Amino acid sequence: MFTASPPAQSLRLTWRLAILIVALQIAMSAGLYFVNARTEDIPGRQVSQVLAAQLPTNSYVELPDAAFSFTDIPREECCTPSGTVYRTTLTAQDAAQRYPAILIVSAHDNALAYVDGALIGGVGRADGPPPAMGRRPQLLRIPSELARPGARLDILVQRAVGFGHLRPFHIGGYDQLYPSFLMLRLLRADLPFANAVVGAFVAFFCFCAAPLFGARALLFSLGALATAWVGQHVGLLLTTAPWGANANNGVYLVSFMATLLCAVWFFIEWTSVFAQPRSPRHPLLALALDPWGWRARRWLAYSVGALIAATALFTSWRLSFDPMVGTQDINRVTGLFGIVAMAFCAVRIIIFYARAGFRHPIEASAFVFVIVAAIADIIMVQFFGTYGVFLGAAVAFFPLALLVSLAARARGIFEAATATADKLNGLVALREREIRATLAEIQRRERSEMLVEERSRIMRDMHDGIGGQLIGLILQARSGKLSDHALVGGLEQSLDDLRMVVDSLEQGEGSLTGALGAFRARIEPRCEAADAALVWAIEDVGDTPDIGPDKTLQIYRILQEACTNALKHGAPKRLSVSLQRISPSLVEIALADDGKGFDAAMVSSGRGIANMRTRAQRLGAALDVTSSPNGSRVALTLNA
Amino acid sequence: MSQTHPRARVAIVEDDAILREDLARIVLKAPELDIAGLADTLRAGRALLAGGVDVLLIDLALPDGNGVDLIRDARARYPKIKIIVVSIFGDARSVVRAIEAGADGYLLKGASETEAEAAIRSVLEGGAPISPTVASHILARMREQNSGRRLEGDAPLTEKEVAVLTDLAKGFRYKEVARLHGISPHTVADHVKSIYRKLAVNSRSEAVFEAVQAGLIRLND
Repeated sequence: MFTASPPAQSLRLTWRLAILIVALQIAMSAGLYFVNARTEDIPGRQVSQVLAAQLPTNSYVELPDAAFSFTDIPREECCTPSGTVYRTTLTAQDAAQRYPAILIVSAHDNALAYVDGALIGGVGRADGPPPAMGRRPQLLRIPSELARPGARLDILVQRAVGFGHLRPFHIGGYDQLYPSFLMLRLLRADLPFANAVVGAFVAFFCFCAAPLFGARALLFSLGALATAWVGQHVGLLLTTAPWGANANNGVYLVSFMATLLCAVWFFIEWTSVFAQPRSPRHPLLALALDPWGWRARRWLAYSVGALIAATALFTSWRLSFDPMVGTQDINRVTGLFGIVAMAFCAVRIIIFYARAGFRHPIEASAFVFVIVAAIADIIMVQFFGTYGVFLGAAVAFFPLALLVSLAARARGIFEAATATADKLNGLVALREREIRATLAEIQRRERSEMLVEERSRIMRDMHDGIGGQLIGLILQARSGKLSDHALVGGLEQSLDDLRMVVDSLEQGEGSLTGALGAFRARIEPRCEAADAALVWAIEDVGDTPDIGPDKTLQIYRILQEACTNALKHGAPKRLSVSLQRISPSLVEIALADDGKGFDAAMVSSGRGIANMRTRAQRLGAALDVTSSPNGSRVALTLNA
Repeated sequence: MSQTHPRARVAIVEDDAILREDLARIVLKAPELDIAGLADTLRAGRALLAGGVDVLLIDLALPDGNGVDLIRDARARYPKIKIIVVSIFGDARSVVRAIEAGADGYLLKGASETEAEAAIRSVLEGGAPISPTVASHILARMREQNSGRRLEGDAPLTEKEVAVLTDLAKGFRYKEVARLHGISPHTVADHVKSIYRKLAVNSRSEAVFEAVQAGLIRLND
């Protein structure tokens, strides 16, 4: 379903777009890296050599100089729960500034600034337990009444997480330091905030869209990834979390782990859903490189959920008794796991796109860039003690690349579907033509069969009637026994029979009334010749579709026979022919006369009557012959 | 027939010599009929017509074409001519086609002298002989037309005409039909003539329609 690729002609455009997006990402990353690197070159006096003293608690106490010892910052400090005070003295140059100020680039924990024991500002709480870590840069003005050469500047680093990284800070004019402050804030606060918003948007989209699309698990995995990403930023950005500093650290740590796990889940989903099926190979290698089946991916989803839950449980347990060391330990271990996980994703995704012939460059570059940026950031944080800047840039572009790529894939799918529909339509049309041809052939055969049947029936009729009559006449004429009168009579009879056949063919289609109407012309001359009045009592019996030419002819012959009998034996004065419907499915044709009638014995033995019975049987009709001295009646009852 | 009337001139177009002679014999025997000429082909028949003919007895199956063509010609050129089709079977298809072309009646081949003479006289007197077969054929065609396409110029049969035709199809004679409907036999004959006329007119409009369809005739042009 998802295997369709964008058409080749749009591939060049796609490549250009991909290169543009990658270039933008690189430019942005480079910019951020430059800002990050330049934090050490901020104008003003950089202070990296200071006096440091450990406090018994997190609250500020003005200590005498004797309590301090020299130290360089940043120094690796860990795991003491109480605050540290870093002290330096203002120089004459510092004090001569118009608006003297101090730029604290970063203290991993909170930082409060004091001048000669008086609090001038900062992030933290002077009178209680410190809030969550404040990693953001601070630009604090030194009140002019306090800014004198030799004044003591104390920076209290309140321990929240326990890293205690106070980076070198800068003293100078407020306006001089301000641009650096803005850039640092962009890097450490604004960009993460934007990233969190992007994550929230992606998560919202995925969870809303998941029920609408076929690839539900894919969208769920992306949604989970984005949610974890948002969670991570909540942990990073909230300075005063309602759930407390320790719990906020937990949120950050669990979200960090969840982000990594969900990233693995998402990339496996993506490379499985959109992949072509592969021939089997070693199971472990296949698990790493090949598309996973839906069953395996379902177990993967469950496992990711279970692992996140386990991380949450472990983290809350660890932080419950040793928040500072625990936070750093978990963070470090998670970071190392992150490098492995991201490396796995990188290999998998690169192989996936290599197999597809790099037909999705936007998607591929965005994915690879995100993964590489994540690895780089983790390495920067873990091994160089600096801030990660690359992932921020990559994530800003990630949804864009994803949307462009999905649109391209959707286009491929639509085009494939259209092509399939066209093909199907063609097939249907072809099949329809075939069926039509077959149907025409069948109809042609049926027609020709009907013709053959009709022909043979007509031949039978000819043989039955006119043929026999003509042969009889010929034989009689040959033997010289035939008078002219008899010959003419016989020939007339033959012609009559032929006309009856013609009439049956013409009238036989569906109207018994019409058929009998035509029959009158056949018997009336004979009645006239015998001086018998013909009483015609034909009722309209409606359509009789079952009475075809064949049956019509049989009816004609029965009636003719009955008429012959009546005229020959009964010498009637009147002969009546009637047709009426006696029930919805039955009609009766009757021929009655007022002649002398005939012997009852003849009814059963007479040749003519036997003929009539045979014909009636063939018709499926009932023949009723009655006779009395007052006349006879032949009635034919048939379904019609 | 009144004595002052001149004898009607009869032309016979029939390719079978025996039948032709027989018809000629019958005509010659009848006091009010005279022979205008005998022909055995369409062409000869057409030439005969030019000489002035009152009655045309014509067979349909002729060696150089169908008699229907000559009937149509004769009807167009001599509107007053009486045309009688001579047919072996009197089968509806050929008789109705002839009526559509303009024939006034039909005569069965091999009919007795009396029958033949009666038929010719009846047509001369303005009668319109019709067989039950022909009547039911016309009825069936009418039903077909009603259910299917009906042409603009087609004159539909009136209710009375349909009723008369229905009874004729049942085999009833003019007299019987007249009694059944309480009208005179003359009126029945008038109805039948009117039906014949409509058939001829309708067949002409149908021919025009078909010609237009085929692009042979252009209207408004």
